[in-house]
Amino acid sequence: MSTPTVKPKAMIQDNTRCIGCRACMVACKSWNDLPEDKTDFFAGEGYQNPRDLDANNYNLITFNEIVTGAQPDWVFGRQLCMHCEQPACASACPTTAMFKTDLGPVVFDESRCIGCRACMQACPFIIPKYDYDSFAPKIHKCTFCADRLEVGMDPACATVCPTGAITFGDRDDMVVEAKRRIAAAPGKYIPEIYGLEEVGGTSVLHLSSVPFEQIGYITGLPKTPMPDLTHRWLRVTAPVFAVLYAVFGALNWIVRRRMRRQGHEGEHT
Amino acid sequence: MNWRIRLTWWDKLLLAIMAAAAVVAFVRFATGIGTIANINNAYPWGWWVGYGIMTMIAIGAVGFTMTALVEILGVHRYHSFLRPAVLMGLLCYASAITMLMVELGRPWKVWMVLVSWAPTSALYEVGWCAFLYLTVLALEFSLVPLEQAGWGRALRIVRLIYIPIMLLGVTLSHLHQSSLGTLMALIPHKINALWWSDNLPLLYLFSAMMAGPAMAILEHLAAARWLGFAPRMDLLAGLARIEAWLVGLFLGFQMGDLFYRGATDVMLSPSWFAVSFWVEIGLGLVLPLVLLLMPEVRESRRGLATACSLVIAGVLLHRLNVAVIGLRVRHWETYVPSLGEVAITLGITAAAIFAFGWLARILPIHEELPAPETRSLPAARAAGTWHGAEGVS
Repeated sequence: MSTPTVKPKAMIQDNTRCIGCRACMVACKSWNDLPEDKTDFFAGEGYQNPRDLDANNYNLITFNEIVTGAQPDWVFGRQLCMHCEQPACASACPTTAMFKTDLGPVVFDESRCIGCRACMQACPFIIPKYDYDSFAPKIHKCTFCADRLEVGMDPACATVCPTGAITFGDRDDMVVEAKRRIAAAPGKYIPEIYGLEEVGGTSVLHLSSVPFEQIGYITGLPKTPMPDLTHRWLRVTAPVFAVLYAVFGALNWIVRRRMRRQGHEGEHT
Repeated sequence: MNWRIRLTWWDKLLLAIMAAAAVVAFVRFATGIGTIANINNAYPWGWWVGYGIMTMIAIGAVGFTMTALVEILGVHRYHSFLRPAVLMGLLCYASAITMLMVELGRPWKVWMVLVSWAPTSALYEVGWCAFLYLTVLALEFSLVPLEQAGWGRALRIVRLIYIPIMLLGVTLSHLHQSSLGTLMALIPHKINALWWSDNLPLLYLFSAMMAGPAMAILEHLAAARWLGFAPRMDLLAGLARIEAWLVGLFLGFQMGDLFYRGATDVMLSPSWFAVSFWVEIGLGLVLPLVLLLMPEVRESRRGLATACSLVIAGVLLHRLNVAVIGLRVRHWETYVPSLGEVAITLGITAAAIFAFGWLARILPIHEELPAPETRSLPAARAAGTWHGAEGVS
């Protein structure tokens, strides 16, 4: 366990600065040693490739054709694990194979995984992916480069961005910086930080020039942590067990006593 | 004790289905889930979880509902339903665990659940409870073969612990039947408003309770037909009345929950979700409730079989609606179960039915009825190991 002086990290994804070069996608594949894919264009969404995250892609720049002003324009978005402050995936995992580290990354321990895919089902951002064709499948998602963070390096994607769209640092500082950018250029940004309050806060903070639902982000998520939904039931497990066992035991005792009495009466008559 | 039975045409059909499923299962274990299944990144849980695990556990509730009715509420006239109910529960849970072993990506790691501490995970609780309850069911049912085999010491030990483990079984059932709903309560953003509710744990618990007497009635009718005894229509009519109450309770709770959440507009919107919802409510709840309220239905074999089959189908559709059909992830993602997925569930179900049929012929499951004809009986009587049909508490 690490010392209490560790400050949780976060990343700003400033979509207004993104030019869609996908250097972050290449760096991600490179650092995580992910194989190349044979891809093809799919109908509808222009130059984006691939369509969605999968077992070989932990990081994806999305291409969105948005009419801004007189003509359509590319507005980029990004999909990667949000590294929630209170991750639903980790709360759902029955073996704690998925967990959040003190530095911020939500990571996956293959050696504990049973392959139930509860984390995939639980994730509000639909991030964890599976390699169904593997004999020994694993959960695949962005690790926040937890291995690099441990030795004081920044995530691979953050080191290669040529336009400064990805900024990495302590979460407290990143929140201040994101707010500063919006305040300094109110015309450039919509006044919203995606990830500041979503599901209780995340370690990736997205900024955008257009509303987030227009660039494929999942919106309308609660501001409260997702695990609260199950915690309110699961926290009463032990008392409910005790009360039910006692009540059932008492009823059974009454039933058996009644039967014994009836049995004795039966003998006398 | 003689384990052998003469295989009927039905037995051979079930064995053929099991053999076909075993081939599919071999392919799954040799090459991975993706070869035979359509579950994908958007729908990580499909027919296997919706039917093979969630529905199996729900109809396995027959074990705890009938136990609670007889041993805890003290309605002793249904005592003869207890052994079939416990055996059905045991086989349903065994089926669900077999399904899990096929469905998990890394089944050889499943023991990890038992050495972990993950109190925030509903699946962790379900895993522990189901594991413990399967043990309880096995112990409860073991009274029958132990008695048949004449193993006096083991029988005395199980009888000694019967009351505490029976209570444990009923308590654990309440916990994990509801926790299966808690599992789905985590994903309000994915499940259609018709089915996602803060009260999913209670909806799961009540619908499982509703499946209990329905399964007991269906089993009794089937056993009467295949084993050749006269069904106790007086008892079935009483159980049907209890069933009507349980269906009414669930229907009332589900509709009340929908109105309370203000999801009524979704009910009336033209969508496949609404269609699936009305099929679930209409055919799975309202129609059987109406049928069960009619005395002539409660007194007729065909009427009872129809009404109870509809209830079970309704429970299946509820589980599928919550866990598969009602899920909406990304607009281009779809899921339809593959033949391979269906084949494996058919095989597991066939195995459970075969096992029930086999045990019902070699053991006195229907204890307070005339003992079934088996070749072992005269020999057992002659050897003095046959203790008659009324031996168990």
